[in-house]
Amino acid sequence: MAELARDLDLDDDLYDDEDTQKDKYLTFHVNGEDYGIDIAFVTEIIGIQKITEVPDMPIFIKGVINLRGKVIPVMDVRLRFNMEERAYDERTCIIVVDIDGTAVGLVVDEVREVADIPEAQVEPPPQTGKGQSSRYLKGMGKLGDEVKILLNAEKLLYDEELEKLEALEEA
Amino acid sequence: MKDQFSPDHIEMVEEFCQEIRDLLDELEPVIVDMGKGCGAEGQQEDISDDINGIFRLFHSIKGAAGFLNFPNIATASHSAENLLDLIRTGAMSLQPDHIDLFCQGCDFIREGIEHVCEHYEDEGLSTQSQVIRDRFLAAIEVDPQEAPEEQGPAVIDLDLDPASLISPEMSKNFVSESQDILQTMETALLNWLKDKGNQDLHGDVFRQIHSFKGNCGFLGFADLESLSHHLETAIDLARSGGAADPAKIADMALNLIDIYRETLADIGEGGPGKIEGLSIYLDMINDQLPPQDRVAQDVAGQEPDRLGDILVEQGAATKAEVDVGVAQQSRQLGAILVESGAVSHDQVDRALETQKERKKKKAGAGKVKATKRQDLRVDLGKLDQLIDLIGELVIAENMVVNSPDLEEMELDHFQKSSQHLGKIVRDLQEMAMTLRMIPVSGLFRRMIRLVHDLSRKSGKKVELILSGEETEVDKTVIETITDPLVHLLRNSMDHGIEPQDVRLEAGKESAGIIRLSAVHEEGNVKISIEDDGGGLPRDKILAKAREKGILQDAADMPDSEIYKLIFAPGFSTAAEITDVSGRGVGMDVVRQNINKVNGSIDIKSRAGQGTTVDLRIPLTLAIIEGMLVRCGISRYIIPIINIMESFRPNPGMITVGPDGQEVVKVRENLLPVVRLHDLHNVAPDNHELEKGILIVLEARGSNFCLLVDELLGQQQTVIKGLSDYVSSFGNAGGVSGCTIMGNGEVCLILDVQSVLDRLNEGGY
Repeated sequence: MAELARDLDLDDDLYDDEDTQKDKYLTFHVNGEDYGIDIAFVTEIIGIQKITEVPDMPIFIKGVINLRGKVIPVMDVRLRFNMEERAYDERTCIIVVDIDGTAVGLVVDEVREVADIPEAQVEPPPQTGKGQSSRYLKGMGKLGDEVKILLNAEKLLYDEELEKLEALEEA
Repeated sequence: MKDQFSPDHIEMVEEFCQEIRDLLDELEPVIVDMGKGCGAEGQQEDISDDINGIFRLFHSIKGAAGFLNFPNIATASHSAENLLDLIRTGAMSLQPDHIDLFCQGCDFIREGIEHVCEHYEDEGLSTQSQVIRDRFLAAIEVDPQEAPEEQGPAVIDLDLDPASLISPEMSKNFVSESQDILQTMETALLNWLKDKGNQDLHGDVFRQIHSFKGNCGFLGFADLESLSHHLETAIDLARSGGAADPAKIADMALNLIDIYRETLADIGEGGPGKIEGLSIYLDMINDQLPPQDRVAQDVAGQEPDRLGDILVEQGAATKAEVDVGVAQQSRQLGAILVESGAVSHDQVDRALETQKERKKKKAGAGKVKATKRQDLRVDLGKLDQLIDLIGELVIAENMVVNSPDLEEMELDHFQKSSQHLGKIVRDLQEMAMTLRMIPVSGLFRRMIRLVHDLSRKSGKKVELILSGEETEVDKTVIETITDPLVHLLRNSMDHGIEPQDVRLEAGKESAGIIRLSAVHEEGNVKISIEDDGGGLPRDKILAKAREKGILQDAADMPDSEIYKLIFAPGFSTAAEITDVSGRGVGMDVVRQNINKVNGSIDIKSRAGQGTTVDLRIPLTLAIIEGMLVRCGISRYIIPIINIMESFRPNPGMITVGPDGQEVVKVRENLLPVVRLHDLHNVAPDNHELEKGILIVLEARGSNFCLLVDELLGQQQTVIKGLSDYVSSFGNAGGVSGCTIMGNGEVCLILDVQSVLDRLNEGGY
């Protein structure tokens, strides 16, 4: 699966041209649901590899990995959403995203495909107040019969308020 | 903005800025130093060298600024030069105010350079320039009345030979710069020969000869200047097409370049820079010019402020003029040119021959050629890339040599060659590191100026004593400690050194002393700022800390910890906020900057005797020698510098305290034990101390033992940051960074200091 993921259409032309990236999302599986992340943020997809744990980090920061000589942190998306931890298997992938020059790896259960979801097909995220995870959402994308949960990559990485809340709960 | 200027122009401006910055850095301390002696009798003689140095600085700024069309900078330097000239010739004595004025002049030029670097023109500076000019003017006008009384005998030679003002350094720079110019000009000439109608190419040639002329003139090489001036005229005329034959002129110029080179070589070896047979060459050039231009151009060319842009305009004017002239007499002219051209060609060849013979004779006379030190300015970005690459190379080398594929194989030859490779890689690495190392002298000398200014402002007399200026540290280290040094010095000046009357009462010299020193200490550089002031007010700090709520109980706090309170943000014991200090920001900056480079701060203070602040900063931020250790499945690097020894303990050495803290007796010392597996929450091979290895670690004078499962060996470690994203969650406990291992895995580097800190806080 990892090989398949690597073969996804992520060639250079796609990066260079803003327009071709518009409305394109890399979709992946986490805990049985389909998620999508704006492809403009994605630099590459790699198979799971040995992660070196770093002490004193929030639980969802699994540690750091060596990405061709660069050390990048890795976040487990399941743990970010307060979902149950699950042993990594051969389908587990790391999606490397780059936000304003900061590279971070996102551990997901399985990478699916690159999907085209026009803006008109994206609904705002549900305002249920149930749980905090909806804070990371950009919207719900409709793709045929399926619904993809579209993530806001910046919030996923940097929403600090939530960490404070979590810290409070823990205390 | 940038688009309006040719890349050449931009490059020239950038070079100009860099040069002037270097000059300023060099001279500011001289100016301040000179100020110390002023006013006293008989000092004039001692400072004449300094005055001349400063004069040269302002003069070269004026010349270069004029050439690059920065009139505001040029005129300001000119006014400074006027004042200096008066002092130099003894018409005026040096006053302390003058020193300030020169400092202000330097500041203005510094500002001007920053401005010019961005905008490539100096129009925005006209008001400031005016202010500076007025001040200098005022100084010149005021002083003559006071001066005659104080003035000692006129000491300085009135008719100083300009050549004596030129230091060997300057002429060396001149030679290497001119060689570059000639090289560029040669290329430009050849291009121009191919495409004679091209105005841009012609402009290139023209600019080069013009700047060459300017340089020659400034340094007083009259022969070179006059020859260049003639050539410049000829080239200018060649552009217009009709007046002179461009091909001939270009040919001639190429020949002349050879002459220039030889003359430069002569200057480089300390010669006077005279050109043999100058008049022949001059005639030769004149022969190429239409008669009416020979004299006229000569005079016009004397104007010093001919600049690239203006010249282009002027060129256009000449072109029209010349066209008219040419239309009247073109036939005649053509004939003359062919004839005289042929003649001059021979002349050139002959002259060249003579020159070569002379050179040979000189060499034969056994003149030893001075060894030349050659410097190369390299973009720092490129250097960083190189160092990064070498870092990668070290990792790759480790990967190859320690490849798991090779494990347990008998490879004699491979072992040998890999050792060889390892040695080369390490040499390379060391070499790369030294590339970035620069002495702290530049930084220290900037502080002279700071102390001078502060001392003027506060009215406290302070002497700054520098030592260890030659100590070399990484460039980034210099950058990070600049601000802290400024703040620490300000603090010493404002809080440390007492006012004069208090000092005298305490039986001290009226002038305070601040010592700034740098020294290598293990893998660190230690920078100390030591003052002989009143010392830190322990009680005041404690009171303030309680007031601010930073501290509740200080009963058993050691002094060194109390002193560290001054680094808390917003902490200040100053009763009022002066423009020097008092807001409590400075010390916070110090702490943050030093932390950023993994440095440490120690304060020692004795009431009434002064305060010493020691900054310890790692020499380089990139590579350390590390010991690879294993604990369970995790591997860690421990900096060798922290390791004292390691051993497998026997049960008799271990004592367990009532709180569970294990203590090991190593010879006569009792050391607490920290278990690495507890620290990082990994499963160890075993929990008994006797089955593991204890490493005795040292950090800033304190020791403790660390329990690990195995020592795996020593290796060079390229330090990588733990990503800013990780740092955004706070400090990773007991870890200073990470490295990439031979097998590609990431391995954490232990920060012994922070482990010790936690131990002391009772965190383990």
